[in-house]
Amino acid sequence: MTAAAVEQDQVFAIAEEVFAAMVDGEPGHLRPWEGDVPAPAEPLAAWVDVHGELAGRAAVATDVATAHALTRALLGMGADEPVGPEDLVDAFGEVANVVGGNVKALLPSQGTLGLPQVRSDLPAAPAGSLTHELRLDWRGRPLVVVVSLFQ
Amino acid sequence: MRALVIDDSRTMRRIVAGALEDLGFSTVQAGDGQQALDLLESGEEVDLACIDWNMPVMDGLTFVTRVRANPAWRNITLMMVTTESEHGQIVRALAAGAHEYLIKPFTTDAIRDKLDLLGLVPAEEPV
Amino acid sequence: MSLTQDTFAFVADVVRRRSAIQLEAGKEYLVESRLLPLAREGGHAGVDAYVREVRSARRESDLADIVEALTTNETSWFRDNAPFSALRTHIVPGLRAERTVLDGLKVWSAACSTGQEPYSIAMTLTDVLGPGARFSITATDLSEQVLAQARSGRYSQLEVNRGLPAPMMVRWFQRAGHDWQIADELRRSITFAKHNLLDLPPAGPFDVVFLRNVLIYFDLETKRSILGRVHRALRPGGYLVLGAAETTIGVDGDWERVPVERGSVYRPVHAGAVPSPRPAPGTLTGATPAVPTAAPRVPVSGAPTSTWPVQPRPATTLPTAPRRPAGPAFEQGVTR
Repeated sequence: MTAAAVEQDQVFAIAEEVFAAMVDGEPGHLRPWEGDVPAPAEPLAAWVDVHGELAGRAAVATDVATAHALTRALLGMGADEPVGPEDLVDAFGEVANVVGGNVKALLPSQGTLGLPQVRSDLPAAPAGSLTHELRLDWRGRPLVVVVSLFQ
Repeated sequence: MRALVIDDSRTMRRIVAGALEDLGFSTVQAGDGQQALDLLESGEEVDLACIDWNMPVMDGLTFVTRVRANPAWRNITLMMVTTESEHGQIVRALAAGAHEYLIKPFTTDAIRDKLDLLGLVPAEEPV
Repeated sequence: MSLTQDTFAFVADVVRRRSAIQLEAGKEYLVESRLLPLAREGGHAGVDAYVREVRSARRESDLADIVEALTTNETSWFRDNAPFSALRTHIVPGLRAERTVLDGLKVWSAACSTGQEPYSIAMTLTDVLGPGARFSITATDLSEQVLAQARSGRYSQLEVNRGLPAPMMVRWFQRAGHDWQIADELRRSITFAKHNLLDLPPAGPFDVVFLRNVLIYFDLETKRSILGRVHRALRPGGYLVLGAAETTIGVDGDWERVPVERGSVYRPVHAGAVPSPRPAPGTLTGATPAVPTAAPRVPVSGAPTSTWPVQPRPATTLPTAPRRPAGPAFEQGVTR
């Protein structure tokens, strides 16, 4: 394809909006990550697949501790409140779901979203996919948003 | 006033219900369109339903169609709360009978603004 | 990469003076992320360097840019709803009662910010006046930055989520990438221009002036002089619409307050003439017009101490999504 249906800046804008509106309640806490992202000791990834004429995947990958912090922020929980595994998976999956839904709306043809998946590792995109990988800093924590358009 | 929050994500139900409660609503939740219909059929009375689109068993669009087909439920305000944000999707939802449409991600202010348009915000704002 | 205290203190001071918004400790993160795009645009290494340059160059436009980046006007569509409802139920019928063919209706949106207000007026008038009716809106603001967005008619998803009725959204907007683009038809009916309320008004006379939530930032003397200029820019029989909590009462006696639904609109009173009530069909009027009284002149003390000319900016809530930088947000590559 000559031009990407989804541009890097658009993915950043979507991530910024999700965090500003729902996670932090105000903008300014999400920014590009400077330098290399350290390999997480306990990685966690959430993604949704987009089905349709143009198919792809939108994913959020980080470490378990950050995913916990994200869940607390989303649900307005206190720093000491325990986050159950179901809450964690649901909340982290929902972040990927909202990012994915907004990415889907950028595609030229109407697509459908799959259900969010949460695993320790992100599956590799098919060979030849166009991938944007945004390495982000959320409150000092590394978080990567990956959007792949399958060819 | 009472609101029915319908979404297959527990996280999202909690966020929406929390925002509505801050605005003075009491809330009840359902995980899909069928559960929501069952609640209404069992006599649950609500003023507002906030409805996700993509849900298992029965999606939000189908739920809207069913509610609008039932005269007993004609006074329920129906607002989609969804990531579906293509122009055509919004047109479809309004054509099916949804009164309002809120795109995810949303802020509490955005919900309040929409409810204001619908005349559903209580006269006194919470501090 | 963090701000010096000095930089933060300067920025907080500028913002507080011009917008009444307090940036307290803990918001350094926010200041940095909001000003970084401005710093980059100016070719600076970071926000400290940018602010150092702003302080030495002493350009008004830089300060305005900084305040703009850190504050926002309450940018919802159909803000407060009531004035737009008043257009429908009271103002347009009232104007129609005077001249049955309502063509060439002229409106001034006098603190238009990023454009939500004039576009909301345009959407309402198109609805109320019907197809083929012509109207023109002059939309002004002090800041070129907000005017640029207003002219573009392009809004983010968070922005269109604010108070825009869904049927209006599908009728008047199309998607443009992740954003939403308003219809050219509406853009054609609006002329956006930079304007300082302390100066003479744009060419009128106007049938309706929207002057919402901006007077509150001026002292009494200045409010009065602004209202005086608006008065002269309005047609006799025209309407002034203020913000929900605002009134001319006690400020300027040359206005008649007309209750409309839950609020008010104001009509210019001309010296020696007692305005006759013009009942609009089906709405509440016939109330005895208030007899204008001359308000005593109140001496103003305490001129602003800032060395640069200060134009108070109306701003209320926390910032919304930051304007995206002109170039790619960052350099991380695209892989194939």
